[in-house]
Amino acid sequence: MLLRLPPSLHYPITVTSLLKKPGDAVERDEALFWYVYETTVSEGDGLGNRIEVERRFPTRFESTVDGEIVQWKIAKGDIIDDPVDIVEIDEPCAHEIQFGGMCAECGKDMTEYNYNTEILGTERATIKMVHDNTALTVSKNEAARVEEDAKRRLLESRRLSLVVDLDQTIIHATVDPTVKEWKEDKDNPNHQALRDVHEFQLIDDGPGMRGCWYYIKLRPGLEEFLEKVAQLFELHIYTMGTRAYAQQIANIIDPTRKLFGDRILSRDESGSLTAKNLQRLFPVDTKMVVIIDDRGDVWRWNPNLIKVSPYDFFVGIGDINSSFLPKKQDIGETNKVPVKVIKEKPPTEHHVNGASAKPEAGNEVSALEQLVSMGGGDNPILLKEQTHAQEETILHQVEDRPLLQKQKELEAEDDGSAESSEDSVDESQEPIKPRHHLLEDHDRELYQLQDRLEQVHISFFEEYDKKRSRALGGRVAELKGEKVASRGKGVDLRLVPDVKEIMPQIKRRVLGGVVLVFSGVLPLGTDTQNADISLWAKSFGAVIAPKISPRTTHLVAGRNRTAKVREATRYPNVKIVTTQWLVDCLAQWSHVGEGPYLLPVHPDDRGEPFSPGSRELAESSWLSSEDEAAGSLWTEEEEGNEDLFRSSGLETSSIGYDADEQAAVHDELKEFLGSDDESESDSETSFLADENAGSGKKRKRDEGASGGENDEETVEDDEDESDIAGSRLSQRIKRSYERSTGLREVATATSSGTDETASERALPSGPEGEEPDASAAGARSGLAVSYPEDEDDELEREMLAAFEDGDYDPKAEEDIAAENG
Amino acid sequence: MFFLKEETKVISLHPSYFGPNVREYLITRLNEEEEGRCTGDHFVICVMDMVDIGEGRVMPSSGHAEYTIKYRAIIWKPFRGETVDAIVTSVKPTGIFTLAGPLSVFIARKNIPSDIKWEPNTVPPQYTDHADQVIEKGTSLRLKILGVKPDVAAINAIGTIKEDYLGPL
Repeated sequence: MLLRLPPSLHYPITVTSLLKKPGDAVERDEALFWYVYETTVSEGDGLGNRIEVERRFPTRFESTVDGEIVQWKIAKGDIIDDPVDIVEIDEPCAHEIQFGGMCAECGKDMTEYNYNTEILGTERATIKMVHDNTALTVSKNEAARVEEDAKRRLLESRRLSLVVDLDQTIIHATVDPTVKEWKEDKDNPNHQALRDVHEFQLIDDGPGMRGCWYYIKLRPGLEEFLEKVAQLFELHIYTMGTRAYAQQIANIIDPTRKLFGDRILSRDESGSLTAKNLQRLFPVDTKMVVIIDDRGDVWRWNPNLIKVSPYDFFVGIGDINSSFLPKKQDIGETNKVPVKVIKEKPPTEHHVNGASAKPEAGNEVSALEQLVSMGGGDNPILLKEQTHAQEETILHQVEDRPLLQKQKELEAEDDGSAESSEDSVDESQEPIKPRHHLLEDHDRELYQLQDRLEQVHISFFEEYDKKRSRALGGRVAELKGEKVASRGKGVDLRLVPDVKEIMPQIKRRVLGGVVLVFSGVLPLGTDTQNADISLWAKSFGAVIAPKISPRTTHLVAGRNRTAKVREATRYPNVKIVTTQWLVDCLAQWSHVGEGPYLLPVHPDDRGEPFSPGSRELAESSWLSSEDEAAGSLWTEEEEGNEDLFRSSGLETSSIGYDADEQAAVHDELKEFLGSDDESESDSETSFLADENAGSGKKRKRDEGASGGENDEETVEDDEDESDIAGSRLSQRIKRSYERSTGLREVATATSSGTDETASERALPSGPEGEEPDASAAGARSGLAVSYPEDEDDELEREMLAAFEDGDYDPKAEEDIAAENG
Repeated sequence: MFFLKEETKVISLHPSYFGPNVREYLITRLNEEEEGRCTGDHFVICVMDMVDIGEGRVMPSSGHAEYTIKYRAIIWKPFRGETVDAIVTSVKPTGIFTLAGPLSVFIARKNIPSDIKWEPNTVPPQYTDHADQVIEKGTSLRLKILGVKPDVAAINAIGTIKEDYLGPL
């Protein structure tokens, strides 16, 4: 080690003598050399006066480390003006591994310090790199060495590291004692699903520290999954549960410890209770690490992360170890349960509606979670609070038995609905009656996850092999001949590709070119760009746009009949899909076909089918104006969106709307509409016409949208848009002006139907008001200013619809009137 | 090293325990609280006998009685240079974690004989010289303590097996 003079000395100093020769042993605090410095001091002259005098003080310089002198960098007589290197000392021990404040190699106390201490011994080794012990710290060099060895070994066996989360990723745990009762009760409707639930007791946990039983449900296919994945990855557990909890889980999922060994990191050793940190396990580099977790936020959306959809077996329980984590953002996976149920299960069995069950659970713990989510860091008071909160959650579960409550609710519902028929049924029939069961066991996530991990593994080693053959091959190989062949078996760590680059590459392909708009998914006021689901989608290459534009490819609608859904029907290339589509895409890492996920537009929005004649009429009359409008739309919107696209880190060109894509979109749309299309040619005009027909038809669905909801939605949407509205208002007015030509054509083409609907909008109180075209148009243009976008095309759509089916259904009309009036 | 040490402890007793069984109760309390305790300097292994229980003194204002108990206990104070037997709790590339009774001892890689190598590919991972010496979780080791560092309620120690007659038993 090279010693350097501290800046605190009284410079300039003059070296007067060196006390040690190279080769001499030196101890800490032993004098190395003498020097003198000059300074002015005040002295008494013996007469009561104080005078300032210059004095020279000889001082010795003491070594701050032990060791053997290698070489002096200064000589006797040197005058030193500022800090320089003085001597090189060879230390017998660099204290690179420390255990509990002691050097693990020489046994010296590292926490000792005195006047001469420059760097505290413990600063030399600060990295905790062992999973299950925090007392052991190592230096950066040592960590790098250990990690390099590990990487070498992994590359030789062609494996990567996989960090696995426990709760809601591969298992689901609860402490609700109801589980045990159900499990033992063969007649219980939930018995089937609970048969393979594991249980264990933790003594130092739970209310009153009396020991608390935990019930663990493994995610379906877990055993096989771990078995397969362990061949490709070295597995690590990283959980926010306690050490004892993690050990117990490991005993269940890996009794022989073949898979995880003792690579288990729990919150006791994590160092942070609010976030997980990959550096805790891989301090030097994370090139070969993949993470699977159900929470992206705790990893700060680390690029190594594969987010899996949470495993929610015990409905409403959530993650029992999440009290320490920031509050979870619900992303509408709740929809999953009912959707699957409908598809997979016979209709006699009802299931608890996830959507209704979830919010309840959310309310129950929300106060608690809010308390918890406020803080973070290592504040001991907060920590105590959080621990308390955790205990309370557990206590709450043990005492209130949320599962039992849910089941009761469910059965009460059932009884209510089946009451009439049940009166005559006697008790003997009870067991036969299909009772509702709360717990479902049809999760497929792990099977998909396995595919994805394999995919990452393959791409990683393809890249690695490519790099390696490039490095070894060519001229070098020719020149070196055999030597290279032998080296080929070894590993070169410089050639290791980075998972952080490979995984995003794969992921970005999935939703590349997709521009999403959310509607009814995120609560109003949330930052659409930084919500969990948005970040997740963005990591797959999707672009999140705040509002619908011609670039938009998908509208992800959380619920039906929002203003954006209606707006989206105007754009033929926008597919209106449920949230489930997005979630499935993200879960499966593939651009899932939209077909099954298309949002069924509300029946009220659906008009009567086209008659061929009227349809053609509609096309011919609409084509001209609509074409123009669409054209201008394109150019106008382009600029505004440019920033957004750039900010999302995507090239504008990559989302270009080229002919092929257009055709594909067109085809899909047609398939969706199931239109028995007539003259289909590839020429541009007929294509456009067709597209228009499609849009026309789509619009018709929205025709009967109820007035009340409509207004509400409009306000919501306007809020969204208010920031950009100002500059575009004029454009919109212009556009609506252009459209009005089309409208007039329509108006003249038909008779009473148009007028009626138009007047209904203009004067909601008069259901049968007879207004001339001109006033209707006037009212419309007035509206167009106040509600720039929605109001006028609402009107447009209604007029068109009325025009398209001349024989307007009087009943539907009455409905509208009632709703509006 | 083990010592027989005389110590005193003050136990405060709630009035509800006053009765014919006070003595038994005090012994139970003493055993529960003292045995297995780590003072940061030594471990109390076993309370041997009561030298003197003394008379209880009722504290004013609370009614509790304070007993000053003198007792003898076997304690263990680990010393630098002491040789102990320990059981391996886990092996890591950086070294071996062991438990010598209540004391956790870490053996750094440098303090393991150079012929005993880290072998991560076995299940469970182990240190081995590819002959008869295998160190894995559960192995008994004889080691020499290189350093002891007291903490608030624990003692950490580091050890070595890089000397004659040390290593797996």
